[in-house]
Amino acid sequence: MSILAIDTATQVSSVAVLKEGRLLAELTMQGKLTHSETLLPHIEQVLEMAAVAKEELTGIAVSNGPGSFTGLRIGLAAAKAMSYVLGIPLVGVSTLQALAYQLPAPGIRIMCLLDAQKGNAYVESYRWENNSLQVVDSVQVAKITDIVAACANMNEQIILLGDAVQKKVAGKLELPANVSVAPPHIVMPRAACVAMLGQAKLMAGETDNVMDLEPVYIRRSEAEVLWEKRHLEEARATKPTEEM
Amino acid sequence: MEKKKEELLTLAIESSCDETSAAVLRGGREILANIISTQIPIHQKFGGVVPEIASRKHIVNIMPVIDECLRTAGVELKDIDQVAVTYGPGLVGALLVGVSAAKSLAFSLGKPLIGVNHLEGHIFANFLAAPDLEPPFMALVVSGGHTALVDVQGYNRFRMMGQTRDDAAGEAFDKIARVMGLPYPGGPRIDALAKEGDPMAIDFPQALTEKGNYEFSFSGLKSAVLNYINSEKMKGHELNKADIAASFQRSVIEVLVGKAFQAVKEAGRDTLVLAGGVAANSGLEARLREEAEKRGVRFLYPSKILCTDNAAMIGCRGYYQALDGGYSDLYLNAVPGLSLTDK
Repeated sequence: MSILAIDTATQVSSVAVLKEGRLLAELTMQGKLTHSETLLPHIEQVLEMAAVAKEELTGIAVSNGPGSFTGLRIGLAAAKAMSYVLGIPLVGVSTLQALAYQLPAPGIRIMCLLDAQKGNAYVESYRWENNSLQVVDSVQVAKITDIVAACANMNEQIILLGDAVQKKVAGKLELPANVSVAPPHIVMPRAACVAMLGQAKLMAGETDNVMDLEPVYIRRSEAEVLWEKRHLEEARATKPTEEM
Repeated sequence: MEKKKEELLTLAIESSCDETSAAVLRGGREILANIISTQIPIHQKFGGVVPEIASRKHIVNIMPVIDECLRTAGVELKDIDQVAVTYGPGLVGALLVGVSAAKSLAFSLGKPLIGVNHLEGHIFANFLAAPDLEPPFMALVVSGGHTALVDVQGYNRFRMMGQTRDDAAGEAFDKIARVMGLPYPGGPRIDALAKEGDPMAIDFPQALTEKGNYEFSFSGLKSAVLNYINSEKMKGHELNKADIAASFQRSVIEVLVGKAFQAVKEAGRDTLVLAGGVAANSGLEARLREEAEKRGVRFLYPSKILCTDNAAMIGCRGYYQALDGGYSDLYLNAVPGLSLTDK
C-alpha cells in the first residue's frame, strides 16, 4: 500500500508518502507562497524523494477539515483530481484528529484548536486509551479565550495543539497551571499523520466518493447566516401574535 | 508518433465565478463536449454571487462536471494531450478550485498545463462560433467586470485600444437592476424591460465620447440613473422602469457602439466581434449589427452558450496559446485581478 497524504488546512502545507506502513518522505513547510502555488510542486518533489512513481500509489488521503475554507479546497481539489486520474481510492481525514495523532501521550487531554476567525477556534479534545485515539469532547466552535479559561476547571493535564494555538495562545495568553502548549514541531498539522489515519481507513475499506466529497466546514458561509437571520426576523415581525 | 496539432485534445476547466464548466476540444475549434453547471439559482436569493458559496459549489461540482464532459466527448483520460484552465480574473476562491484541480490533472496525466486569461477566452469564443474567423479583427469585450476594446492582430498578438477606467458596463447593469428591485442576474432583466420602454424618454449622460478616446467610464452614468430613480421616488412618482431601463441601456450601447466602430476604422479592420457575458444583451447586439451593416463591417458574436462563462472558450484560447509555447508550470496561481494587456 502506497499512500500520498495532503494537508493544506492551515498555513502549513504538508505532503507525505507512506509505503507499506513506512514513512518514506514528508515535506512540511510554513512559507510565504500560497498552497495554491506550492502544493503540486511539493507533491511532485515528495514522490521523487520517496522514489515512488505516481502510478504506484494505491490511495490518497487528504486532511478534510475543519480549517481554512480555501486551504481545504485547494487540497481537496488536487486530491480528487489525482484520485480520479490514477483510479485509486480517496479518503478524507479529520484535520483535528490528524493533529492529535502527532502526540502519542496517554494520560493527558489533547486539545486541538484550529482557527475559526474572529478570536474563535474549532476545538476538539482527545485522549489515548488502549493505544487508540479517542474523542472525549467532540468538535465545537468557541472563543479561544473561553476555551483556555475553561481548562482551569478541568482536573487533568492538558496540552494544546493547532494553528489557533500558534497564532493566538502561545506567548499571548496566560495559561492555567495544568495547561501547556505543544512545541513548534508538533503544534501544526503534518501530512504523515494524515497518511497514517488514511491508511487505517483504507485498510478498513472506508473510502470517500471522489465525485462528491467536500470539506468539513463546520460553519456555514457568513452570507447564509446573515440571510437566515434577516429572514427569521422578517418572519417574526409578520407573524400573528397569538401564535407566539 | 506525435499527433498533428489539429488532432490535439484539450481538456479545459473554468470556475472563475458562478459556473463550473469543463470542455474537451479537438484541435482549436471543434467542441467535443462543453458541460456547464450553473449556480445562478443558488445565488438568486442573495441578490448576487456570494463568493464563499460559489467556492463551496465548485468543489462539489468539479469532478462530476469533468467526468460528464469526458463521457459526452467519448474521450478517455489517457487520450487528453493538454489541460487548460482559467487562472483569472474572477473570484479567488472560485478560481482556486479549478486551478488546483487542473494542475493535479495535468500532473497526474503527465501532460502540459496552460493557464488561460478568462477575458481572452471570451474573445476566443468567437473562433468557436465562426469557424472561418481569422485574425486580425477588433474585439469589444463586455463582461460583468470588464469593458475593453482589443485589436486582435494575431492569435497571440493583442493591442489594447482602451478599457474601463472605473465601473464596467456589466457592473452598472447589475447595480441599477438591484436598485429597481429586479432579481439577479440583472443584465438580462434590464435588456427585457428595455424592449418595452422608450429609449429616448430620459437623457442619461455618455462619458469619454471624444474622438480617439477608447477608454470607458460608466460610473457617472450609473450615478445619474441612481439619482434619477431617487429623485422620482422623492417626488412620489411611480417609476417607469421600462423607460429607465431603455434609456440607460441606450446610453451604454451608444458609447460601446461609437467607440467600437471608431476603433475598427482606426485600426483598419473589416471585422468586429463581441465578447463577454454582456454579449448576450439583445439590444447591444442589434445596434452593433445595424451599424456594422451600414458600414460594411462583418459583425460576429458567439451564441448564448458561448457568451456565458464556459470551458470551451478556455480550451480554444489554451490551444492557440500553446501553439506559441504559452504553457504554465505547476506553480501556476489564481490571479483574481488579471487584466487584458498588450501581447
